[in-house]
Amino acid sequence: MRGQMQRTRKSRLAAAAGLLVAIAAIAIVSVTGASARSSTDEISGAGATFPAPLIAIWQQKYEAAKGVKVNYNPIGSGGGIAAITQKTVDFGASDAPMTPDQFSACGGCVQLPWVLSATSVMYNMPLANNLHMTGPVLADIYLGKIKNWNDPRIKSINPGVSIPDQDITVVYRSDGSGTSYNFTSYLNTVSKQWKSDVGHGTTVNWPTGVGARGSSGVSGVVSRTEGAIGYADVAYALKNHLKFFSMKNRAGQYRRPGLVGIRAASLADRKFSPTNELSIVNPPGGKKFRKAYPICTYSYVLLRIQSDKASLLKPFVTWALTTGQQYGPAKVFQPIPPYVVARGKATLKKIHS
Amino acid sequence: MTFASKPVPGPAAFQRRGRFRPGDTVLYVVTLAAALSGVVLLGLVTRELLTEAWPAMDRFGLHFLTTQDWDPNKKVFGAGTFIAGTAITSFGALLLAAPISIAIALFLTELAPRGVRSAVGVLVDMLAAVPSVVLGFWGILVLGPFIVHTLAPALHGTLGFLPIFSTEPSVGSNVFAAILILTIMIVPIISSICRELFLGVPQELKDGALALGATRWEVARGVTFPYARAGIAAAMILGLGRAVGEAIAVTQVIGNSVAINKSLFEPGDTLASRIASQYIGADTTLQINSLVYLAVILLVFSLVANIVAQVIVRRVAGRHRAA
Repeated sequence: MRGQMQRTRKSRLAAAAGLLVAIAAIAIVSVTGASARSSTDEISGAGATFPAPLIAIWQQKYEAAKGVKVNYNPIGSGGGIAAITQKTVDFGASDAPMTPDQFSACGGCVQLPWVLSATSVMYNMPLANNLHMTGPVLADIYLGKIKNWNDPRIKSINPGVSIPDQDITVVYRSDGSGTSYNFTSYLNTVSKQWKSDVGHGTTVNWPTGVGARGSSGVSGVVSRTEGAIGYADVAYALKNHLKFFSMKNRAGQYRRPGLVGIRAASLADRKFSPTNELSIVNPPGGKKFRKAYPICTYSYVLLRIQSDKASLLKPFVTWALTTGQQYGPAKVFQPIPPYVVARGKATLKKIHS
Repeated sequence: MTFASKPVPGPAAFQRRGRFRPGDTVLYVVTLAAALSGVVLLGLVTRELLTEAWPAMDRFGLHFLTTQDWDPNKKVFGAGTFIAGTAITSFGALLLAAPISIAIALFLTELAPRGVRSAVGVLVDMLAAVPSVVLGFWGILVLGPFIVHTLAPALHGTLGFLPIFSTEPSVGSNVFAAILILTIMIVPIISSICRELFLGVPQELKDGALALGATRWEVARGVTFPYARAGIAAAMILGLGRAVGEAIAVTQVIGNSVAINKSLFEPGDTLASRIASQYIGADTTLQINSLVYLAVILLVFSLVANIVAQVIVRRVAGRHRAA
């Protein structure tokens, strides 16, 4: 009897404790939720991984200079578009410009180019440095038509280099990626068959090869696989000491991806589409573009025209377009040209709260 | 005090027995809520999946199950290659894992010295505790190169006439790597269930067989296996369910290629792996809808596997009670 009473008391105690814990949990959740919402000097963004190294610097510099905290979650271009569409962030970022469908789904969104860089094509061929590559040959490799390194077309653009009999392993991004968008847009311009069979996009139906996740996944497979070819943003390839091709531009020059090549290529498209799109892959030939690297891209920031955070967003994006650009070259981001800055500022005028 | 004989002991039942005891009421409500939350959650998840997948289901119908394309540009999506990839990797893993697991269980219950049993048993079970993402990394860094440089040349050299070993891989990401990773994952699951099953075989039966002059193997084959047969089948289905649903480790090693190859040394993809690799970066709603359609297929498969396993277990339990 006594034991039973003790047990009842214990169970009551346990129940009371359980209730307390539950109440405390609810209280904590609601309080933290409220405090996250009430802080005003904070803006949040999500999207492409491509501009993430530069945005990481901006976060520090901007908070130090203006006292505004910028959060950025590099979840990929597709994720950035989804996040701004669902209003879960104050700004999105995407390497692939938004399509008309995506604009109508977003309802009152604008995009503007804010970052400029390039995609490098990496390879693993231990004895061969500074290999040359052309667009049509690269497209045929990714189409699975050229399967071996000793193909005459590869040899003919690399005279004097001894290239072994070695199977080519094609490596691509298995996740949706702005780097893939840049790379496939380029292949579109150099190969009719690529354009009709595969096309361009953040994810495409790769005719051959093996997929890997993220720039780190692709470069990991390339560095472990002799004879492999892959692509990644140039900052990533440089940081990880991977070999990459000098790509032939339409002026007939072989160019390595770097600030000079990106600057030259950035002049290739001065005509903004109505949605501020610029395409600078495979710039035309001629003296002006002699130094251009052919696989360059702008990356875009996505904003809502009506935003509660307009008073914080407009100064931040303006700062990123101007002051922020000086931090780019250290990470192989070429500062955007003045007419792109002007267009961005004009677009920002539309944003209101 | 036999609550079980009453149909449902609601809070009123407690009150009728004289004193009102708030502790019991709280316990009843809390446990009821916990029990219901499981059911409700499954319902909500299923409903959400179906709503999200509906546009793709409406557009592609059941052709989705056989279509072998996954082309966001042409807006054509199909699960054919991923269903095949899932079947090949999970059944392949089961084929390797089942004999290994049964051998482990037999050794640990019948043959090993007492001191070794618990030590080895704990270690095998710990294999199940290795996070799948860690196993995936091991797959990329160790298993992949090992397959390319050692295992594949050996298998191709000796068994190359078999279609499944007909090519030599150039890269460590391939279907065979996924099968091996999944095998490592499900061995501890199957072997620990089998161990319990073998321990449950009545000692008198085994003693009887031994007394008749049976060898250890004859006891295993004639007494232990038949007695535990249904349970072994259920254990294998549970292992299969785990293999079918594994996403991260598979996506790290399988090569994410939309193709069905005869050779296991070529890249491929599975349902779960495709969802894991593409959901975040998907940029058209149709692609997201199609990915969720893949998830619906996966859910149906897992539910069926689980139900079959439970039916078998219940049948075995019923037989034991009868005996």
